[in-house]
Amino acid sequence: MTDEYIIDINHASKVFNNQKKEVTALSDVSLRIRKGEFISLLGPSGCGKTTLLRMIADLIKPSSGSVTVDGQTPREARLARKYGMVFQSPVLYEWRTIIRNVELPLEIIKLGREERRECAMKMLELVGLRDFADHYPSQLSGGMQQRVGIARALALNPQILLMDEPFSALDEFTREKLHEDLLSIWRRTNKTIVFVTHNISESVYLSDRVCVLSPHPGRLSAVVDVDLPRPRTAEMRSSPELASLVERVRGSFEGI
Amino acid sequence: MKNFIKRLTSKNGWVLFVWLAALAAVWEIGATVIGATVRNHPEYILPHLWQIAASVVQPVSDTQTIFGLVMVNAWATLSRALVGFLIGMAAGFVLALLMSLSRAVEKIAFPYLMLIQMIPILGMAPIVLSLTGDIGVSRIVIAAILTFYPVATNMLAGFRSVSREKHELMYSYAANTFVKYVKMMLPSALPYMFTGLKIAAPMAVTASILVDTLQGGVGLGCLLSQSLKHNTSIYAFWEIVFISAALGILSAKLIGLIESLTVGGRLSALSGRLIRSAGKEKRYEKQAEKTEA
Ligand SMILES: Nc1ncnc2c1ncn2[C@@H]1O[C@H](COP(=O)(O)OP(=O)(O)O)[C@@H](O)[C@H]1O
Ligand SMILES: [Mg+2]
Repeated sequence: MTDEYIIDINHASKVFNNQKKEVTALSDVSLRIRKGEFISLLGPSGCGKTTLLRMIADLIKPSSGSVTVDGQTPREARLARKYGMVFQSPVLYEWRTIIRNVELPLEIIKLGREERRECAMKMLELVGLRDFADHYPSQLSGGMQQRVGIARALALNPQILLMDEPFSALDEFTREKLHEDLLSIWRRTNKTIVFVTHNISESVYLSDRVCVLSPHPGRLSAVVDVDLPRPRTAEMRSSPELASLVERVRGSFEGI
Repeated sequence: MKNFIKRLTSKNGWVLFVWLAALAAVWEIGATVIGATVRNHPEYILPHLWQIAASVVQPVSDTQTIFGLVMVNAWATLSRALVGFLIGMAAGFVLALLMSLSRAVEKIAFPYLMLIQMIPILGMAPIVLSLTGDIGVSRIVIAAILTFYPVATNMLAGFRSVSREKHELMYSYAANTFVKYVKMMLPSALPYMFTGLKIAAPMAVTASILVDTLQGGVGLGCLLSQSLKHNTSIYAFWEIVFISAALGILSAKLIGLIESLTVGGRLSALSGRLIRSAGKEKRYEKQAEKTEA
């Protein structure tokens, strides 16, 4: 049953040394993420959510402890292109059309022209942007741009999707629409999604588990199981079950 | 021709037309006043526009018109300016690339880059001339140095403008340096390079004209000073003024054209939109302030 877990964070800590000042961004975090799980990292800003995500993505190394991704070090997992990243801003290359933005990772792995097109088109279909393939990023709304970012992250068919506050810059309506889309993509593709957010109800609505991070120093103060049935529907947003889970999550923050 | 009329009747075309007409009117009023008050050679101060136009076909010798003379000299100067411009562009490009590839190169080269900017290069022209011993080579060197600086600094700024997230994206795809530069860094820096080239082009032209004045012989600068000393027709001076202005505008337009062919209109459209929306935001802020007060 060991291979049931795809990400294993084992007593990981991170201390930043900036100009003689030491900042403990994360202290002794242990967390195992299951294959195919939708898991949220929730907390106020500065509690180390991004730091934790970046450790998984091999963008920073833990000061102590270890991170294992699919039985490998984060570096090996990155070189094997096992995860896709989605950022808070869409991070599109503005001189490329939408389809060519999605093709970018496929170009990097030197896929042929035809296959590239076909694969990128499929990804755009998945996020409902087929008709905008030849537009430029500046011609799309923020929500649509963020969808392109998701399509691009999925292009190499990675097992893991790492998302850092992907919807926090969007308005409420667009965000809720993207929640539905993301859940449907997740259902169809069986990805493991690590989703960073500071929005409590967003994390509860989307996730199987919510990891509550508290600041000063950043630490994992609780992991809340969300036992709402799948698939999640829009009516659940106002259900008493969700409200009570939100209350439970809110109650598990420490020292804010 | 249809196009021209269309442009003229469009909003911007009218602005341009009014500008040119006003300029010509002011010029002619000035020329008329000077013509009425200055008894000897009023055209030495300010000739009428039609006098300048007529001078184009006037002969200076049995075999040459004034315009022909100007053109021969223009070629001597501007072909060198162009060569220097291209060399400076290539050198600036390579240095910016090296500086962005290597921190060490950047640390070593950056102070020199700053230094170049502070030295008045045109003041060094006599030194360059005595070192090279050739006016043509001097024109090339000066034009190259003047082009080099804006290209190098603008491209470096372009490389640095690439956001952290864009770098991280490439990192997450395990892209190598070559791929990173071809697919991300160079396309990002290209619009900055064109900005640098637009700054550099008129500078290179002006510099090589000024370098001319150091030595007799052929060159726009020589002809310019000869004309001002009345060793040759004064209209040579005025023709040079107009041709230089036209060349300055043309060079900028040409670079703009190359830019739109390579980078595409997308980016300029984008930056235009950004500037417009920034303006809008400011207006909103002002409105908000008003309503608060
Ligand atoms: N590169 C860094 N150097 C120094 N301090 C950092 C760095 N990255 C993050 N930090 C600090 O670590 C803490 C956690 O940051 P972060 O993980 O970005 O929080 P979050 O994403 O939850 O807002 C913050 O106090 C932040 O200032
Ligand atoms: Mg963050």
